Amino acid sequence: MDGAGLFSARRGPILLAAMPMLALLLLPILGLFFGVTPNEVLEGSRHPLFGSALGLSARTSVVSLAIIFIAGTPLAWWLAVAPSKQTRAVEIVVDLPIILPPAVVGIALLQAFGRGGILGDQFAALGIQLPFTTSAVVLAQVVVAAPFYIQSAAAAFRRVDPDILIVARTLGQSPFSAFIHVAIPVAMPGLIGGAALAWARALGEFGATLLFAGNLAGETQTAPLAIYMALESDVRAAVALALVLAGAAAILLFVFRSLPFAWRQGNRP
Amino acid sequence: LLIIVLASGCKAKGAEPVETIQVYAASSLRDAFVDLKDDFEAVYPGAKVALIFAGSHILRHQIERGARAHIFASADMSHVQRLADRGLAGEGRIFATGELVVITPLDNPAGIDRFEDLVRAKRLVIASDVVPLGAYTRTLLSRSAEKLGASFEPHILSAVVSEEINARLVRAKVELGEADAAIVYRTDALSSARVRVVEIPAKMNVRARLSITTILGEEKRLWSDTWISFVGGPLGHKILARHGFVVE
Repeated sequence: MDGAGLFSARRGPILLAAMPMLALLLLPILGLFFGVTPNEVLEGSRHPLFGSALGLSARTSVVSLAIIFIAGTPLAWWLAVAPSKQTRAVEIVVDLPIILPPAVVGIALLQAFGRGGILGDQFAALGIQLPFTTSAVVLAQVVVAAPFYIQSAAAAFRRVDPDILIVARTLGQSPFSAFIHVAIPVAMPGLIGGAALAWARALGEFGATLLFAGNLAGETQTAPLAIYMALESDVRAAVALALVLAGAAAILLFVFRSLPFAWRQGNRP
Repeated sequence: LLIIVLASGCKAKGAEPVETIQVYAASSLRDAFVDLKDDFEAVYPGAKVALIFAGSHILRHQIERGARAHIFASADMSHVQRLADRGLAGEGRIFATGELVVITPLDNPAGIDRFEDLVRAKRLVIASDVVPLGAYTRTLLSRSAEKLGASFEPHILSAVVSEEINARLVRAKVELGEADAAIVYRTDALSSARVRVVEIPAKMNVRARLSITTILGEEKRLWSDTWISFVGGPLGHKILARHGFVVE
């Protein structure tokens, strides 16, 4: 069943064809590294803006990921099991935040939840103010990142064999219980992969945050915003900050991506 | 398609060579420069003007990294000076100045009618101090201490809910009704129908000095100098004044 073995004779040409894309992705990152000295990176990581911005990014992106997981999983499941006639339109709605420029998503969020927005009066009556708050940062991240998780989770759920769910039901499990104890564990590698993608997108979120949450150190200034601000005054500091962020994200993504393998190993009979 | 390509090829050979100049200009100059370009190209049929707008610092950075700019118009003197110091640009000259104003949403939720009323704003948006507008805004606020008391500046700064990256983002927060007030260039206020202008007393107000220069190194364009004199000439001044800039 080893696919790599089947194609091993052809791997050379495939690798050759894959190189241009890989180089295109890798070269800009290398460019960042060559632009600064290790000392500057160290200095950049001590930049006054950076500590609070990185902390805020870590906190908000984790909260966003939790919301995406809790609220996105049922939607992904529905997309996977409902008839495609019903899901087709919903899938487009789910995809839209990926297609729209993030700044437009930011404006859209203001039009929905801002003072002059659709829910503006209701929120004002409740004394809730979202724009310019840390909650706005989270909301922006959830909206732009959730589609990545939902699509990946729905694809994973579609691969769950309906027969094992039927077996679970005949063994007396409720539909909810079958979903929790059978569908989710089976789809887990796909869910984790989607979560990694969504988390990465939330961490890098810039445009929607800038419009919807604004930019204030300690409140709404996440790492990407701090990097952009630093870019205005000191390009090298900005690059150093970006490298620290990229390094942290790369390590976390690596751990995240290794989880599905660990999951499979752990669940092997 | 082939016919079009051939036809345009013949046209380019037959007619007088059309030369394009790349003008890199600060975001706050957008509306004025779009008008200037139209008039310039009408007066000089052989000239084509390509306008590139962004924050002054971004433009400077792009030029430092080899962007093919012929002209650089910056919202302050420092970016032009930094390019000139590195031998990338000629000496800059000030071609216009810009004043600051307070803007509020049309319904003016905080009831701000005079500059002093700014203390009533609960949600104030200003520009970040890393961009020229933000630096001018802070100069204005510290200057106002003499007239309006020492507590004015800290009070105002405590109401700031966001420090934006450019003037248009500052204005957008007021246009969308999210901010009670903001401080922007007069030009930004004039080009929007969705904001109200509250004047800042001339004694406190700050003048932004807009500076223009030619970029060296890039192949010399005949139209570059013409563009700079056009911007500083009577027609240029008329257009700049119409957009809220102060010209001498």
